[in-house]
Amino acid sequence: MDRNSENGHAADGTALSLRDVVKTYVVGTDVVHALRGVSLDIRRNEYVAVMGPSGSGKSTLMNVIGCLDVPTSGTYSLEGQMVANLNEYQLADIRNQRIGFVFQTFNLIPRANIFHNVELPLIYAGVARSQRRERVERAIERVGLANRVKHKPNELSGGQRQRVAIARALVGEPSIILADEPTGNLDSKTGDEIMTLLDELHQAGQTIILVTHEDYIAAHAHRVIRLKDGIIESDSPTSGRAG
Amino acid sequence: MAGKRWKIDLEESLRIAMSALRANKARGFLTTLGIVIGIVAVILTMTAANGLQSTFRQSFSSVGSDVIYVSRFPWVMRNDFFLYRNRPRLDLRSANALERRLRGSAIVNPTLGGRQDLKFRSETMEGISVVGTTEKQTIVASAQPAVGRFITDFDVTYKKNVCVIGTEVRDALFGTANPLNQQMKVGRFTFRVIGVMEKQGGSFLGGPNFDRQVFIPISTFVKAFGGERSQDVNLAVKAPSQEALADVEFAVIGEMRKIRQLRPSEPDNFSINKLDTLVGTFNNVMGVVLLVGLLITSVSLFVGGVGVMNVMFVSVTERTREIGIRKAIGAKPHSIMFQFLFEAAAIGLVGGLAGIAIASVLTAVINALVMPASVSVGILVIAVVVSIAVGIVAGFVPAWKGARLNPIDALRYE
Repeated sequence: MDRNSENGHAADGTALSLRDVVKTYVVGTDVVHALRGVSLDIRRNEYVAVMGPSGSGKSTLMNVIGCLDVPTSGTYSLEGQMVANLNEYQLADIRNQRIGFVFQTFNLIPRANIFHNVELPLIYAGVARSQRRERVERAIERVGLANRVKHKPNELSGGQRQRVAIARALVGEPSIILADEPTGNLDSKTGDEIMTLLDELHQAGQTIILVTHEDYIAAHAHRVIRLKDGIIESDSPTSGRAG
Repeated sequence: MAGKRWKIDLEESLRIAMSALRANKARGFLTTLGIVIGIVAVILTMTAANGLQSTFRQSFSSVGSDVIYVSRFPWVMRNDFFLYRNRPRLDLRSANALERRLRGSAIVNPTLGGRQDLKFRSETMEGISVVGTTEKQTIVASAQPAVGRFITDFDVTYKKNVCVIGTEVRDALFGTANPLNQQMKVGRFTFRVIGVMEKQGGSFLGGPNFDRQVFIPISTFVKAFGGERSQDVNLAVKAPSQEALADVEFAVIGEMRKIRQLRPSEPDNFSINKLDTLVGTFNNVMGVVLLVGLLITSVSLFVGGVGVMNVMFVSVTERTREIGIRKAIGAKPHSIMFQFLFEAAAIGLVGGLAGIAIASVLTAVINALVMPASVSVGILVIAVVVSIAVGIVAGFVPAWKGARLNPIDALRYE
C-alpha cells in the first residue's frame, strides 16, 4: 500500500520507463505492427498528452502502459518494477494498485451505485470495509459529488459520470492516472470542467497521462508525445507551459 | 491477509450476483423450472420411498422376522401357478407331525383361513378374513390383544365358540361400545368376543389387513367351516432366535419331506415363506419407485442445468463490458468466476426452494389422501444441496468463459 514512500526507484523521480517496446498482433494471416520500437520516460507528477491519428499505435501504447497488455519485445518498468513478463494475476494487481483508468465512455457499472463503483478498486485490493468507507467518501468528495453517493450512474449527467470515473481512478492512490479521451463524450463546457479537475489533480502531485486528438485538450498537459505508424514522431513540451 | 482478501472478493461476488438476479427476476425464474420439477421429483420419490417403507414395516410388523411359514403355495407367485396347483394340501395331521418332530427346537402354530360374513345386531361386514388358530398365535406373531384375552389351550381343546377381533372389525360392528362378551355371528355361528387385538396399521398396497380379521380356535374353525378338507393349513414356525432361523428352516424342510415321504429326486411340494420373501418383493416395488423417480429427477435436473447454463451464457455475454471494466480496475479471473458461479448457484437455489415448497404441498396432499408421508430434514438438505450443485455445475463453463475474457476485447465490446 505504501509503495510510494519505500520504493527505491521513486528517488530518481521516474514514474515509468519504456525501452524499444514493440507490439505486433496477428490478425488472421496479417501481422500488424502496432508499436515499432517506442522508448520513453515519464517522471512523477508529469502531465503528458499522447496524440496521434487512429492507427498510430496510441491505443496499444495506452494498453501497454495500463498493463492491460504486455509488449511483444522491449521492456516496460513501472516505478522500477518490470512489467513485461508478469502473469495475468500480477498484472491485475498492478492495474489495481498503480493505474487509475479514466475512459472516454466512463465505463461505470450500471447496476452499482456511485459509492459501490468507486469502492470497487479497493474491494479488489482487499481493503477492509471499515477502511474503504472513508477512502471512498474522500475520493467522491474530491470530484465534488458527495451528495450523489447513492445514485446509480444512469441518474447522473455525462460530466458527473466522468467525475465518478475519476473518483474511482483516484481512490486507490495510483502512480499514474491514464485518461483515454476523457472528454470525448462530453460537450465542450463539461469537458472543460473535467479538464480543470484533472489539472487540479496534477497540481496536487498526480502523474497524468492523457490520450486525445484535440489540441486544446492536449494543451492542458505539459508535454505532448505524438505517435505515427507505431513510432514516436515528436516529444516536446507544450508551448508556454513547459518548465 | 490472504484469507481476508478472499473474503472481501467473495462478498463482492455475492453482491453482484444478487443484484444481477434481482435485475433479471423473470428470466431467472423461468430458467429454474427444470430444477423445480427435478427437486419436486427428488423429494416426492424419497418421501414415497420412506412412506412405503414405514407402511410396509407397520403392516407386517406382526410377521416376525424369526418366523417361517410353511404353506401349500408361496406368498409371491408370478405367472407360475401351474407349478404349484397340483401340490397336496397341508393338513392338520402333517401339522401335528411337524410340531412333534420340532418340539424343543421351535414353536409351531397351525392356522386355517377363510372368509365369512360378520354380524352384530344390525351391523354387518362381508367377506372378512377368519383365522382358526391356537394359543401359540401370540407367541409366534408379535400382535397381542389390547383388550380382553387371546384364545387359550382350553378354548382349542374344547372347541369353544369364542373369537378375538381386529380393531377395524370392532369399530365397524361395535362402534364405541364395549365388544367384550358380546355375542356376534361369524358365518352362521355365534361367537363370544373375548378380546380385541392391538392395532397393526392397515393394509400395505392391497396386501392383507391384519386389523380386519377375526381369530377363532382352530378346532372350532374345523368344526364350523369344514376346515382341512376344503382349506389349507398354514404353519408358522418360530425359531428361538433370528440367528437360528436358517437352521430351523433347514430342519423344517427336512422334516416336511419326511412327513411327505418325498424321494431325494423329488422337489419340495410345499413352500417356505418368510418375511424375507415379502421384503424381496417390497424391494422390487421400491426399486421401481426409485428408478422412475431417479429417471424423472435426472432428466429434469439435466434440462434445468441446460437452462441455467444457457441463461448464464447470456448473462456473461451481456456483461462482457462489465467484466472488462472489473478486470481493468484489478479484478482477478477468480473474482469474475465467483461472481457468475454465485449467480448460477443462486438460480439453482431459487429453483430448489420453489421445488421444496411445491413438494411440501404435494406431500401434505399425499399424506391426507394416500399414505402417511412427510418430508424429512435430510431430504430437504439433499434437495438444497442438489439444486445448488446443479447451478454450479451448469454455471461453470459460462463463468469460466467470463473469467478468461481478455480485458481489452471485453472493454471494446458493444
